[in-house]
Order: sequence, then structure tokens, then C-alpha cells
Amino acid sequence: MKIVVCIKQVPESNNVKFDPVTHNLVRSGTTGRINPFDKNAIEAALQLRDAIGGSVSVLTMGPPAATEALRDGLAMGADDGYLLSSRAFGGADTLATGYTVAAAINKIGGVDLTLFGRQAVDADTGQVGPITAELLGVPQATFVNKITPDATGGLTVQRDLDDRTQTVALTTPAVITVRSEINHPRYETPVNIQDSFTKTITTWTEQDLNLDPDRIGLAGSPTVVTKVYAPTPTQRATRPLTGTPDEAVDQLIAQLQRQNLI
Amino acid sequence: MGGSRTRHWPHTARHLSTHHQARQIANGRPVVAILLEGDDDSFEQQLADYGPDEIIRVRDAKLKRASDRTMADVITALARAERPDSVLFAATPQGRSVAPRVQTQLTTGLTADCLDLRYDDNLLVAVKPSYGDNVMCEITCPQARPQMVSVRPNTFAAERVTNSQTVIRDGDVPVSASVGDTIIDEHVAVSTATGVNGARKVLSLGRGAASDQTVALARQIAAKLGASVGVSRPLTDRDDFSVEQQIGQSGNTIAPELLINVGISGATQYLVGIDQSKLIISVNRDDNAPIMAQSDYVYVGDADAFLKSLAKRLGIN
Ligand SMILES: Cc1cc2nc3c(=O)[nH]c(=O)nc-3n(C[C@H](O)[C@H](O)[C@H](O)COP(=O)(O)OP(=O)(O)OC[C@H]3O[C@@H](n4cnc5c(N)ncnc54)[C@H](O)[C@@H]3O)c2cc1C
Ligand SMILES: Nc1ncnc2c1ncn2[C@@H]1O[C@H](COP(=O)(O)O)[C@@H](O)[C@H]1O
Repeated sequence: MKIVVCIKQVPESNNVKFDPVTHNLVRSGTTGRINPFDKNAIEAALQLRDAIGGSVSVLTMGPPAATEALRDGLAMGADDGYLLSSRAFGGADTLATGYTVAAAINKIGGVDLTLFGRQAVDADTGQVGPITAELLGVPQATFVNKITPDATGGLTVQRDLDDRTQTVALTTPAVITVRSEINHPRYETPVNIQDSFTKTITTWTEQDLNLDPDRIGLAGSPTVVTKVYAPTPTQRATRPLTGTPDEAVDQLIAQLQRQNLI
Repeated sequence: MGGSRTRHWPHTARHLSTHHQARQIANGRPVVAILLEGDDDSFEQQLADYGPDEIIRVRDAKLKRASDRTMADVITALARAERPDSVLFAATPQGRSVAPRVQTQLTTGLTADCLDLRYDDNLLVAVKPSYGDNVMCEITCPQARPQMVSVRPNTFAAERVTNSQTVIRDGDVPVSASVGDTIIDEHVAVSTATGVNGARKVLSLGRGAASDQTVALARQIAAKLGASVGVSRPLTDRDDFSVEQQIGQSGNTIAPELLINVGISGATQYLVGIDQSKLIISVNRDDNAPIMAQSDYVYVGDADAFLKSLAKRLGIN
């Protein structure tokens, strides 16, 4: 089975702060890491390859520094990597990202399964997988917590939709996005880290992918972020319940009775 | 097309809060609910109680267990025929899987998992958390139409309308069978009945109220109060709790009349799930815990002692 795993490089930490003067976002930690959910996708791909053979490629759209994330994927055991990188890709929202990723999957050719993480921890959308599936014209299974290859070359997957679980028979080619419950991503071993530097990373730009300039980067992004700010929760009175636990409970019960809650 | 029309299309009747929210922001724009249902379902009345001006119903045996792709194709066809100005989905796993496929077919913008919505003139402003709810972003879709969003369920409490005048009509669009993504089995998650989603009262336990004894006592109190038991994330490690009871960013957003937090510190990821609760009581031995400032009433002291007193007062031995 020929598998491509789409990965995103995200900031090291979600502990973002605001500059009190400029109100700009100050990201703590400079280096990036693989989006944690995408490691589950890589692990799922490696397990499938181990079970039924084939190859695993990791693919990312991002600045040249995103090569780091690809190397990490290779050190986990992926066979090769693809970096989609160009100034023109900058400012892409999920639609433009999906368009670019789908074009790369088509150019790679013969891909049976494209795997995604559940969502990127910086943007928190989870849209790129389904968008790519739609553009590739293939079926999808999202929020997957179990993948089993079946005898006919298809996949039986279990989806966890919070209120219900579904078992879905997928034919390939297909797109799957995985939940973190699906597995525990393996660690990079020293040997694999060494090996990762001998593996090929192919870099493609919009020319290589023959992309419509109106559908990539900022130009291809219908949404715009107009404001970024720190959340301010509803202000509450914070009145104390005082005294011994019994006394405090009496005050609570009185309140609940007053508000017809008991 | 003259004027702007707000359409709002969760594909199941499950998350009625989205319908309520559409009505809240509509400000004179017609609100249309889209209902995809199996041939033996009838969710119309349930939906009508939440006051849409119109329900467009697509009823077909193939929609009983439809794949994401089938649902997306039906909704896309309806959108092409009806030309809505805005489309809202419930940000459930299912909604978040179908909406991007619709977005892609319509080549428009979609903002995921919004906590709040408003119109600035006719521009839909979507307020969405990022970086694990550490940051809020306002996102718009200035040119492409429709303006699409998915809305986190229960960020607004759903309210029924008395004597709604909803018009129901059938949508005339083809429904294709799922090919390549056949749902061969489906079952409702076991613990749904006791989940916190939609509960009117919630007693929520955190790491400061996590012993077996405390949990058992809290269950008795909850039963007496008619409350569901909720938890912060650490307690989902226990066998008897799961994401169904978890409150917060990666669990449920709740909007109960009453929420009692016991032994919960109030991390941002938890707080974002409780902001819409009406009355919040918190018990914590640390008066500096962030949960305290987000509460209407607080008790600074031991969780067990408080629960024991409460149990006694409610007549539990
Ligand atoms: C991406 C991401 C998503 C997350 N999503 C969620 C989510 O959806 N929901 C969620 O809850 N968390 C979530 N978290 C985790 C969150 O950051 C916190 O770690 C978690 O909410 C802490 O749970 P807690 O308040 O029960 O525990 P703690 O933070 O350990 O707090 C325990 C509290 O109990 C008090 N206490 C201890 N003993 C007693 C006692 N005897 N009597 C009274 N008080 C006592 C302490 O003073 C303390 O305030 C998420 C984290 C990340 C990174
Ligand atoms: N720039 C990117 N390059 C490759 N894959 C991506 C990129 N952005 C997102 N993805 C993939 O899409 C998933 C969902 O991301 P998002 O829709 O941004 O939350 C991630 O878990 C990745 O698998």
C-alpha cells in the first residue's frame, strides 16, 4: 500500500502570550515540532506498512525550516519526504492548503491512502483532510481510532464520533484522519535518526505542481483573520460561602432554593 | 439575489443549540434549517420548536446511515439551489467532517469550531479559539459566498420558541448511495445517557476530588440533585469516566443552569467549556485557583468535607 502522511510543523508550545504594547502574539519557543496528532498518523502508516507492505512518505507544505518535521518523520521510519515550499504558498488558509496538498498527492501518483492528523494544534480546524479528500474525489473516514486492512485491498476503520461509533468499509484510494487514541507513536531511535539523513526529500514549488496562482497562498484563501486577542471570560461575582462546611452548604442550598434549582 | 439570507444547516437535529444561535444572530434574515433524515425518521417537530422560519427536509432511506460524502453532496446541491448567504454547521465530529467537503465544492471559506458569531453589516464575523483556546481570532470571509462556519455545540443554551410558524418543505435534490465509504455498523456510545452534554445541572469533579470514595459520594449527591456528573480531563483516566463526561476544550462545552465544580483548578482548556453556565459554584482549598474568579459562589476548603456536608443536608447517609 502506497501511503502519504500529511504533517504540519507547529510551534513548540501553545503557551502564547500577548505583547502588552503591540497586542501582537508572542510565541514562546522558537523551534517547531511535528503537530502531535500527525505523529499518530505516521505511526498508523508505519503499522500498516509493517502489516501489509508498501511505502510511507511524509509530506508537508511550509517554509524550508519545515524540513525538520520531515526529518523527524523519516527518523520515525518513513521512507521519503516531500516539501511543498514557496513564498507563494504563504498565508494559505485550509482551502489553499488542501488544494496544494491534493495537487502534490496527484503528482506523486498511485497513492492508495493519504493520512492526516485529527487537527493541527495551532489552528485547531481539522479541515485540511476532508478538503483534500474532496479535491481528490475520494472517500474519507475522519476521527478514526482503528484501521484494519481487509482481504480485498480495502480498509475497515472505526470512527469515534463522540455520540456514536461507526465501522466503515473504505475502498482505496482514500483519506483517513486519525484520533490520538489510535496508537502510541514510536520514538526515534539513534539508528533511524542516522538513517533519516540518507533518505530523499523532494522539494516542489507551484511551478512543479502546475498550480493555479489564484488558488494558492493568500490569493487562494477565502478567509481572513481580522483580529487576534486574549480570551476574556465572563466576569462573575465570586461571592464567598463562609464558615464551616455545614454553614457553607446551608448558604448554597438557600441560593439554589431562591433560584428554583432545587 | 436581493438582501441577505441566513441559512443554517446542521445536518442532524442533535445539536439544537446551533439552530437557536442562528435565530439569535439573524436580525431579520430568514433562518432555514436543513434536515437530512432517513425515510422512517421525523425530526421536523423537534426542530420546529427552535423556531426556524423554514425547514427544508430531505428524507431518503440512504440518509439513514449516510457517509460524509453523501451528506456533503446533498447539502452542496441544496446550497447551489437555494444560494444562502451563510451556512452554519454544528461543530460535532460529523459536522466538522462534512462541512469542509461542502466548502470545497462551493469554493468558499469555512471557519471551524466557532465560539461566537455576529454580523457586521452583512459580513459574518466568526470568533474562534486557536492554540488550544489560548487565543481568540475573529475570522471573516469577505468575498466568497456562502459564508460557512461550524459552531461549537452548546456555546449557547438552546431555547425553545412557543408557537413557532415554521414552514416545512421537501428539498428536491438527488441522494446518491455511499460508494467506497459504506457504514457497515453503527452504535450509540454506551455512556451517552449519562453524558454532560445538554444536562441542566452538572456536578463536576477534578483532581482534587478524585478518590473512589469522593466520586461515589458525588454520584449520590448528583442523583439527588438531578445533576449529571462531569469531570476535568485528568479524571477521564479512570475507567468509569470518558470523554462523554469531560468538560472543556477537548471534551464538552456545557451550558447548564447550575454547575458545581469540586477540586478543579480552572485551566483555560476547562474554563472555555463552562463559560455559558448560568450559576457556577466552586469548591477548592486554594483561594487563588483560577476557577474561583470564574465562579458566582466559592467555598475555600476541603472538597470531601464540603461534599459530606452537602450529602448530609440532602438527606444522604
Ligand atoms: C490541548 C489540551 C486540551 C485540553 N483539554 C482539556 C479539557 O477538555 N478539559 C479539561 O478539563 N482539561 C483539558 N486539558 C488539561 C488542562 O490543561 C488541565 O490540566 C486540567 O483541566 C486540570 O484538571 P484539574 O483542574 O482537575 O486538576 P488540577 O489542575 O491538578 O487541579 C486540582 C485542583 O484541586 C484542588 N484541590 C486539591 N485537593 C483538594 C481538596 N482536598 N479539596 C479541595 N480542593 C482540592 C487544587 O487546589 C487544584 O486547584 C487540556 C490540555 C491541553 C494541553
Ligand atoms: N501545511 C500543511 N502541510 C501538510 N499537512 C498539513 C498542513 N496543514 C495541515 N495539515 C494536515 O492536516 C491536518 C489538519 O490540519 P488543520 O486542518 O490545519 O487543523 C493536520 O493534522 C495535518 O495532517
